[in-house]
Formats: sequence, C-alpha cells, structure tokens
Amino acid sequence: MKEGFRQAMAWLHTWAGLTFGWLLFAIFLTGTLSYFNDEISHWMQPEVQAHPLDDARSLAAAQAYLQQQAPSAARWFITLPDSRDPGLSVMWQDKIDPGKRGNFIQKTLDPVTGQAVQARESMGGEFFYRFHFQLQMPHPWGRWLSTTAAMVMLVALITGIITHKKIFKDFFTFRPRKGQRSWLDGHNAVGVLVLPFHLMITYSSLVIFMSLVMPAPIAASYGNDTRAFFNDVFPATNNAPALGQPGRLLPLGPMYEQARTQWAGGHVGRLTINNPGDVNASVNVFRAGSDRVVHDFGSTVSFNGTTGELLRVSGEQSLPAAISGSFYGLHMGHFAGPVLRWLYFICGLAGTAMIGTGLVIWLGKRQLKHVKTGVMPFELRLVEVLNIASMSGLMIAIAAFFWANRLLPIGLSARSDWEVQTFFIAWGLSLLHAVLRRGRQGWVEQLSLGALLFVSIPLLNALTTSQHLGVSLARGDWAMAGFDLTCFASGVFLTWAAWKMQHRTAPQPKAVRAGSLTLEQEVN
Amino acid sequence: MLLAFLLCYAGFTALCLATDRHHGELLHSKPMPGRRLGLRAAGWSLLVVAIWPAVAATGWSQGLVEWCAVLMLSALLLVLLLPYRPRLALILAGVGLLASPVAAFAIL
Repeated sequence: MKEGFRQAMAWLHTWAGLTFGWLLFAIFLTGTLSYFNDEISHWMQPEVQAHPLDDARSLAAAQAYLQQQAPSAARWFITLPDSRDPGLSVMWQDKIDPGKRGNFIQKTLDPVTGQAVQARESMGGEFFYRFHFQLQMPHPWGRWLSTTAAMVMLVALITGIITHKKIFKDFFTFRPRKGQRSWLDGHNAVGVLVLPFHLMITYSSLVIFMSLVMPAPIAASYGNDTRAFFNDVFPATNNAPALGQPGRLLPLGPMYEQARTQWAGGHVGRLTINNPGDVNASVNVFRAGSDRVVHDFGSTVSFNGTTGELLRVSGEQSLPAAISGSFYGLHMGHFAGPVLRWLYFICGLAGTAMIGTGLVIWLGKRQLKHVKTGVMPFELRLVEVLNIASMSGLMIAIAAFFWANRLLPIGLSARSDWEVQTFFIAWGLSLLHAVLRRGRQGWVEQLSLGALLFVSIPLLNALTTSQHLGVSLARGDWAMAGFDLTCFASGVFLTWAAWKMQHRTAPQPKAVRAGSLTLEQEVN
Repeated sequence: MLLAFLLCYAGFTALCLATDRHHGELLHSKPMPGRRLGLRAAGWSLLVVAIWPAVAATGWSQGLVEWCAVLMLSALLLVLLLPYRPRLALILAGVGLLASPVAAFAIL
C-alpha cells in the first residue's frame, strides 16, 4: 500500500515535472535575473549616471520638472533614486478612468541637473521581471499560466519529497562522473539542500496572486465590486476628489521629512501627488520596500498638498496583511543587501538547475532503451528538442537581448520593442536549430554560441559605450562592472558545459543496464 | 553573515562526518558510536548557534532570513566540494572554526 502510494507520487512528479518543466525553467531563470532587475537596467541604460544620493535635491528637481511639464496632470508619481537604481523617475497621468489602465508618461531625470536624461529606450531588467509572471501574453492569460505553473511546481516539490526515499541518508551525497546517477544525485542535492527556498518561492508566488487564484472570499464579501475590496486593503489609494479650483502645491521636502519622522527614520520609496494643480491636492508618501522584510503595501503618510496638513498615517498591519506581506517581501527580496542578494541569486540558480536536471533525467532514462538501435521514437525526440531550446536556447535569447541593447541604433523607433523581439527571434531560431540538428550536436553548438555571446559582452560594452570595466571598476560602479563580470563568468560556465557535452563518454550499454535497474526503482 | 556561514559550514561538516559512508570516505575509518554521537551533537549545536550572529547583526526578521540562506548554501558548498576536493572541504571547516572567534570579536 505504502509503495503503491509512493509510486503514484513518483508518477505525478515525473509527468507534472515534464509537462511544465520547460516553462518553469524559463520562469525560474528570468525570475532569478530579476533579483538584479535594477542592476540590469543600469547596464542597459548607461546614459543614466550614478550620483551620491541626496533625497532633498532629487525631490526639488522632480517637483520643479513636473510643475513645468505637467501642471494640470491628474496624478504625479515620483520614485526617488536609491543605491541600486540611480535614476530619478517621474511619471504622470493626464486623466484617470476608474478601472482602466491609464496612459502614463514616464521620464528619467538626472537628480543633479533636474533635466530629463536622453537615455536609450529599453525595458532593461523590467523585461525579465515582467516575463517571469506575464510570459509576454495579453493581460490575464500570462498571469493565469504562470500561476498554474507555480501550482504544478508546488505539486512537483511535494511529490518529489515523498518520492525521494533517502533524504537524510543521501543528504550529503553527490557522485560525479557516473552518468545518469550523477544527474539524479545533482537533482536531489540542489532540490533537498535548497528546499526551503524552493518551497518559499513557490508558495509565496501563489500568495502574491491569491486574489487571482482564489477570488471566492472577495466575491463573497464584496460581490462584483472588487474595487471596493482593494480600496479597503490599500486605503492610501482612496483619495479626495478634485474640487476644480486651482491651488498651489507646497514644496514636498517638509512632507518628506515629516513622513520620515513618523517612521523613526525609515526611508521613502516614492511619492504620489493627486490633483497637483487643485486646491484639494493630496500627497501620499510611501515607505521604501527595502526597509523591512515584511512588505507593507499601505505604509503611507498622506498630506493635504496645499496646506501641508497631515491627513492620515497608515496604522499597523493586520496579522493577515503581515503574513501575506512577509511572503511578498521574502519572494521579492527588496530588503536584501548586496551579499544576501547574491545568495538569493544563487538559490534561484539552484532552482533553475533542479528543473533542468530533472528534464535531462527524464530523457536520459528513456533514451537508454534506444541506445542499441540508435533510433529515437518521436516523443523522445520532441522532448529532446524542447530540452535544448528551453535551456541552451533561452541562454542564447538572453544574450541576444543584451546584444540588441548595445547594437540597435539609438534613434530606432519602438526600440525597446525591438529588443524584446530580438529575444524571441533568437529563441525561435534556437528551436528551429534544435529541430534540424541531432541531439548532441544541437547541445554543443547552442551552448558554444551562448558561451561566445556571453564571454564577449564585456568587450561589446567596451566598444559601444564609455563604461568599460576599467572605467566602471575605477569609479566603483559595481552594478556596471558586476554585470560585465557576471556575463563573462556565465560565458565561461557555458564553455565548460559545451566542452563537457562534446567529450561526454559514450554510454556503455552493459554497465548502463546493470545500473539502470536500480535507477529504475529510484527515479521512476 | 560570514560568522554564521562559517558556523553552519562547520556544523554540516560535523553532521556529514557522523554518517558511516562519509566518515569512511573522508577519514578512512568507521566512526565509533560515541564519536558519532559527539559529532552529531556538535553539528546540530553549531547550526543552532549560527542563528546568534545573524540575528545580532541585523535583527530577528532579516537575521533569520540570512541564517536560512547561509544554512542552505553552506550545505550546497560542502556537497559540491566533497567529491572533488575532500581534503579542502575538511580543511575549510577547520579553518572556519579557528577563524570564527576572530569573526565573533568583529561583531561584538
């Protein structure tokens, strides 16, 4: 009975893992890159210079700019520069249609000169961040698909734990150079050792989208008026309407200072100014997410914009809000300093590796049966093609995205869209290539191309901008230098992988068969 | 975070040595029952003690997150080192333990 249960779980683990593995690999890798969202954006918009932080100066510059450019806008948004993102971002919206996504105009300002920076048009790291939960699909569908994938991931994790017989006995075990056995060891090692992270990241992604996944409780209390629900949860978004009489907005600096004293020195992330030209203007000051692990969406201090009167200070979070906020905070890792951020990144890579090794194991185990005849049935070949395209192809696509950022002409219209299209074109071509080439050659060629593209990124950066490693290291611009060095390291890793794949010892049918019997029982 | 990492790494090495298979691989002998118990106790207590430097430096919420992170990644490092550089894996644990008082003074 017990064995029957375990076998059923193994079956579920195998097939849930296979069907969603390719998608999950892409979600995990792009999600992992999103931990360096701001750093990637900085590399992709080298025109935005880093300055020593001075919030008072930034705030005055933003207010002066918006006053001049958008005095009659319905809302202003100001995001202050921080240690990771050097740009002062201002955004405005001319008219608000409730329930619709309005048209926003966004500019990045230089906090010292107060002028808009003529940066190249690029989505930067935001592309990976958006892709990892929207999958480049029209609005609700991408989120639905990625949430479904997260659900499947949770199932695969739990069934994986049940299937793995010797979690504690094999806790420290990794036996390299043993073919299929090493892949399984590696899959188990990154799975078990980093399991807390895997569970946290998967479960928290479901918590983040809980209003999408489980809308019933909201529907039961609020009916169809979901807007009312969000107004109750996030009271700061519920502001007084404009009166239609022109008013004069006070300087934002003192409100900023007052908000910080409310938070005992906590940092300000962004400010929203509603109806800035009206007598009923209101200013919401939002706390920076990097201050605490437990994320608080509603941590705001609101002021009347024309009198400076303190209108509202958000109270302590309720317990459910704190719980969901802590899952949100843990998933996003906004609070993480440089070292912890790198640890997050490594954990994410471990998750990606777990999915990748799982896909390789599925195929490797079934290929063994066809070693002698050398003919692969269609379904195995399909899995092989998808494995190649989803793993090495994605690496090529990511590198192509970075290359496009440097090589596309600056003045090209819809430039940032073209960057994204380059990403998908490269990915599509790698799929085509995987279809045309036989298995091993496909792997070797794609890994080599990816390696070449990544290794040469520091060189490309040196040739196309004035921010090469010599400059960025000397100036202490670690985001820029770190990006170049990380790309180089990824290239070296891909070179090693390509070399390994090229020189892989051909499987010996006899030894393999003896080993596969025991494997058969463990993997399933 | 460095001290927490050193303690976790040493703790996992002790737990690893407490198993027959790895004790045999690393030290070429089977551990005596007393020694196994000692290693196991030392390993678990090192892992638990590692909470202190993490929490002392950054407070409970961030400290516990950091502790979890070093817990996972020190074990991952150990497991990746073991098959390729077994001596180095052991030496690293020893050096880490020796260096941890120095790192502790840096926090105090």
